[in-house]
Amino acid sequence: MSGLLPLTSREIKKWYRNPTFFIVGLLQPFFWIALFGSAFDITRGFGAAGRLILQGAPNYITFIIGGVATTTALFTGMFSGMNIIWDRRLGTLGRFLSSPIHRSSIVFSKIISATIRILVQILILFIAALLIPNGLEIASSFSAFDVILIIVTVTLVSTLFSSIFSVIAIRVTRQETIMGIVNLVNLPLMFASFALFPKQLMAPWLADIAQYNPVSWSATIMRTVIINGSLNASQLSTVLNNFIALFIVTVVVIVITYVLSESEIRQ
Amino acid sequence: MNIIETENLTKIYKGNIRAVDNLNLQIEEGSIYGLLGPNGAGKSTTIKMLTTVIKPTSGTARVAGLDIIKQSMEVRRIIGLVPQDLTTDEDLKGIENLMMVAKFYDVPTAKARENIDRLLKLVDLQDAAKRLVGQYSGGMRKRLELIAGLVHEPKILFLDEPTLGLDVQTRSLMWDYIKNIQETKNITIILTSHYLEEVDALSDKLSIINRGKLIVSGTPAELKNNVGGDILTMSFRSAEDMNKSLEILSNFQPTKVTEKTARFKVKSSEVVLPEIIEPLKRNGIEPLRYQVDKPSLDTVFMDYVGRALPEEEGEGDSRKMMMNLRRLRR
Ligand SMILES: Nc1ncnc2c1ncn2[C@@H]1O[C@H](COP(=O)(O)OP(=O)(O)OP(=O)(O)O)[C@@H](O)[C@H]1O
Ligand SMILES: [Mg+2]
Repeated sequence: MSGLLPLTSREIKKWYRNPTFFIVGLLQPFFWIALFGSAFDITRGFGAAGRLILQGAPNYITFIIGGVATTTALFTGMFSGMNIIWDRRLGTLGRFLSSPIHRSSIVFSKIISATIRILVQILILFIAALLIPNGLEIASSFSAFDVILIIVTVTLVSTLFSSIFSVIAIRVTRQETIMGIVNLVNLPLMFASFALFPKQLMAPWLADIAQYNPVSWSATIMRTVIINGSLNASQLSTVLNNFIALFIVTVVVIVITYVLSESEIRQ
Repeated sequence: MNIIETENLTKIYKGNIRAVDNLNLQIEEGSIYGLLGPNGAGKSTTIKMLTTVIKPTSGTARVAGLDIIKQSMEVRRIIGLVPQDLTTDEDLKGIENLMMVAKFYDVPTAKARENIDRLLKLVDLQDAAKRLVGQYSGGMRKRLELIAGLVHEPKILFLDEPTLGLDVQTRSLMWDYIKNIQETKNITIILTSHYLEEVDALSDKLSIINRGKLIVSGTPAELKNNVGGDILTMSFRSAEDMNKSLEILSNFQPTKVTEKTARFKVKSSEVVLPEIIEPLKRNGIEPLRYQVDKPSLDTVFMDYVGRALPEEEGEGDSRKMMMNLRRLRR
């Protein structure tokens, strides 16, 4: 896709040169892990039974880290849409549209750069979780394969959310529209999922919805490998099912994003 | 040979706004062509259609023989655009902005470096090139915009208000750059402006557009000749005075009459003025004032559109807009 490389490198430069963005982006994971880790800690008061609720995790942070990572992807993904609207407002899009680049490269440069930002944020998130007291405890049989699986999962889910927000931005001219949609969609996506709470603690109707939520898929994949390291047959099939679902939905959304951005992007 | 031909080019925006209305233009290869019109005339919309940024509602155009709708990708490869807005990225250095544009056109890196060095020298930005564009002054910004449209050596360059918001000195400097580019590269340049003297100074041919419609086309000299002399505008104390005067001066045909003013086209105001003042005086009428406009593109515009170009207002508006945008950005 011509134009993809120069446009993506532009986005990345803008990101690391903007101190606010950069520092806030890096601090956010620390806040989240500290806040989520204690605010929602459902095991308090359960004593030894807590471990059962947490599907074998030694503590709550180990249980939710996959969920927090996924939510990070959800919230940072919206920047890809915001940045498209900025380019439209400033007229920069006009220069891009008059050059012989693929229209979709404008959109995918935002998606790729958002994904890179998310990967860096999540790396920090994991480091933060390892550093804090009573923090992340990774299973001893955790392997390089698990690391790769987590990276691929984060990449998929980041691409998925960035693409969704970008598609919205293809024709939208106002920042407020994206913000409104983010406000409308993000919290329900976060709470109607297995990101922060295990299935057993949810109302059955909510759990029914949550199993179709990509946030759940991503959180479940990461959680299962972080807690267990090497997986037994039933854990493996859980991971595999969630991964296949996530993969298919992401690919479908990427294709839709490609088609729509090639034909529909407007100044 | 015409490098650009538009056929009933039309753009209707949402809300039935006819921004460009059945426009037919012929632009000759290797010339500088001016599109002149007041705010909202449809200049930018025309440029956006010709540069394939937006699609026409109806009609089409050929750019170097290529259809702007069916062959838009091919059109994009041979044109350069300098939009009305400031579109270079404030968070990137000058040189990074230019390299990015070069990559859009797959210019090999060595060649891109060479072109960029030459262009930076041309507009005297060599030293500033390593700084972030956010730190540039408005004039530096506009110069960077200009050369960002040139790094890939286009055959046709579109300049949408290249001197908007610049002071008089910087503006004439910009004119020199534009002339220089056209002469050394022998490319076709289409530029829009609402400064009459700009189009007069730069363009070989021009079109005046207003409310999306073509008013008149020609060389600056032709258009001035068409006006057929000076424009004399007389203002009177009362409508009565004016009507009486029109009777007395029955051998002059007014081109435009409003409540208390009458406008005449005269060959030479020096010769004609006494012939007008004398008989009026004899009848006891003393007009409030006489105004003589020598043929310039201003008078051409006034003659064809019926009002003067609201130049100052336009400049103020756009300047305000640019400043707002910059503030928003921060
Ligand atoms: N995206 C848009 N949606 C709706 N109307 C538009 C849009 N862009 C321009 N217009 C309208 O189309 C008309 C022509 O606008 P255009 O920007 O082409 O004028 P212009 O000649 O470039 O003016 P200026 O000298 O102020 O730049 C105006 O009435 C403007 O309000
Ligand atoms: Mg304009």
